[in-house]
Amino acid sequence: MQKLRWLVLALLAVAALAAAGCGGDDDDNGGGGGGGKASGEPIKVGASLPLTGEFSEPGKAAKQGYEVWQAMVNDSGGLIDGRPVKMVIKDDQSNQNTIVSDYNALISQDKVELLLGTFSSLLNLPASTVAERNRMLYVEPAGGAPELFDRGFKYLFFAQQATADKQGEVWANYVTDLPDNERPKTAAYPTLDDPFAQPTSEGIEAIFKKAGIKTVYRSTYTIDNPNLDGIASAMKAKKPDVVVNGATFEDGVGMVRALRKAGFTPKMLYQTTAPSLGDQYAKAIGKETTEGIFYAVSHSKEAETPGNTEFVKKYQEMFGGTEVPEDAADAYATAQVLQAAVKAVGTIERDKQIELADWLRENEVDTILGPLSWDELGRPEGEFLVGQWQSGVPEIVLPKEAATSDKIIPEWQPGGSG
Amino acid sequence: MTEFLQALILGLLIGGVYALLASGLTLIFGVMNVINIAHGAFLILAAFVTWSIWRATGLDPLAAIVLLTPLMFAFGWLLYKITVGPIRTAPPAASVLLTFGLALFLEGVMGVIWGNTSHSVRPAYSTDSFRIGELFLPKAQVYGGLVAIVVLATLYLVLMRSWLGRAIRASAVNPQGAELVGVNVASVAALTFAVGVGSAGAGGAIASVLYPFLPGSHYQWIARLLGIIVLGGMGSLPGAVIGALCLGVAELMTVTYIGPEWATGVPYVFVFIVLLVRPQGILGTRLRQDVATA
Repeated sequence: MQKLRWLVLALLAVAALAAAGCGGDDDDNGGGGGGGKASGEPIKVGASLPLTGEFSEPGKAAKQGYEVWQAMVNDSGGLIDGRPVKMVIKDDQSNQNTIVSDYNALISQDKVELLLGTFSSLLNLPASTVAERNRMLYVEPAGGAPELFDRGFKYLFFAQQATADKQGEVWANYVTDLPDNERPKTAAYPTLDDPFAQPTSEGIEAIFKKAGIKTVYRSTYTIDNPNLDGIASAMKAKKPDVVVNGATFEDGVGMVRALRKAGFTPKMLYQTTAPSLGDQYAKAIGKETTEGIFYAVSHSKEAETPGNTEFVKKYQEMFGGTEVPEDAADAYATAQVLQAAVKAVGTIERDKQIELADWLRENEVDTILGPLSWDELGRPEGEFLVGQWQSGVPEIVLPKEAATSDKIIPEWQPGGSG
Repeated sequence: MTEFLQALILGLLIGGVYALLASGLTLIFGVMNVINIAHGAFLILAAFVTWSIWRATGLDPLAAIVLLTPLMFAFGWLLYKITVGPIRTAPPAASVLLTFGLALFLEGVMGVIWGNTSHSVRPAYSTDSFRIGELFLPKAQVYGGLVAIVVLATLYLVLMRSWLGRAIRASAVNPQGAELVGVNVASVAALTFAVGVGSAGAGGAIASVLYPFLPGSHYQWIARLLGIIVLGGMGSLPGAVIGALCLGVAELMTVTYIGPEWATGVPYVFVFIVLLVRPQGILGTRLRQDVATA
């Protein structure tokens, strides 16, 4: 009986707390709704990012990008009607379930008026569904997996130059155009089981195959049990000239280390994602090991795209350091796309966000990544930059007009540039 | 042939480390009939502590074992007194639930302290290998395997030669009989649990160099370790060593000849086959309740 009484008391206390919590929310919302018309009331822009878990490196960078945008928009008089922006950012823990509840909560509880996307195809896949169902514009900074755009969504736009299957195109064409004696004859494709990494490596394989570069090894590994030493040893036995590794950060680093352990140095090494993470990558595998590693990248801090200098300056002012992570730049560009659509159409009302989407389908937007435009399904129609590590620094080597270095190192030279 | 030998070597090296990790689990089961689902979490905890020590002082993760083993031993003893001890005589299902809860709790705590991000310890030798002709033996695995053998041998000697070891074995075989001859089974159980957690401390320090880890990695590890002790025979230390070497080699062979995506399933395949063909495992003896129903 005594116990029962305590239980009832505890339940009552919880119920009271919950009621108080809801009440607080209601008040906020009422105020927010009413103040929407008045100028100066902040516009809540919501996003959920993988700040912890597997994708936490890019997730944290994306958060910085959004914060730089928020600061810059607010410095220049707000997004629309002089209203400043207030980012509401949640942590989805790199989890596909959490991200769904996060975006639902952003819309229904936090009452955000605009959304921004999250990092990686894996998470954008479910998150974009929530946005589509709520008829809210969803521009994403990463998430180039082709399957994202096979669903006929009307509110989804990818703010990079191309989808994953085309990410390695420029580099693959460079390789197949090499003179016969320099061109690799065989290739290996160890790939993480991931909706972004896989199509990228398949896209490259398709181009290579057409040019007669034989596939001698292809395998898929999972993030929690990569067994990279075994893969490195299996590849070593096949002696491929080029290794194309579809990777995210931790496994990308692990793959390079496994290759070093196995004592196997393919002539060329191409990785997705990991090499674009700057200092962290160099620190993790050792600076001298980076020499000549290729990757695709969307942003260069030296690029002369409109607003890039200001962005880089603001980023360094806010977060220090000399490097600007690619994912921060992508997030910033994503927000630029949203901003351009809002400015052009002149509304952020919930039931009119289809107009924002329609505008994006018909217009080109100038971003720090260069001009972006989209097809009917929100797929970007541009080309990626090709990056390469040279003397411990990530450089842009292709296309020629965007290059920051005038040479391309033909081979992977771990152990020093000499 | 080179490919096969290489897979065999890598499998045996990693198997040695698995053996150390599984030894604590099988010991705790043997003596107390407790299936310690939190074993994986203990090992990840040890890996995180190793990482912090390595970050702060640059101390070699394998040298950190000297610190971690007693530290985890003490932690295990304390944890036993607070949580597992009170339900020692309850049916095994209770201990499964309890230790599963412990694992979730530790996962949460580690997430708060170290963040839910992937970590790995990278001493200078972690990208080097010893080479024999075409074959390579990664230094980290070799050192890790050697340390694992030393710790395992010590554990074996303690079990076989010391009074504590005899008391542990007596308590495992016949608790009532042990009580009769003056063994305090309750405190032996506490010490066994602490020894088991201590070995997870040593294993965790080694694993931190070989695999990247995050708080949630313990699920993968406990699956692997349970597969090992089911194969080797639950409660048998030599069985755990054999099971671990088999699993290590089977994983590497799978990676080499079938595909890395299938390696995750290897421990489960082990469990299925063992349960169908030889439920007591390679070196396990049938439990009394099995015999009674047989």
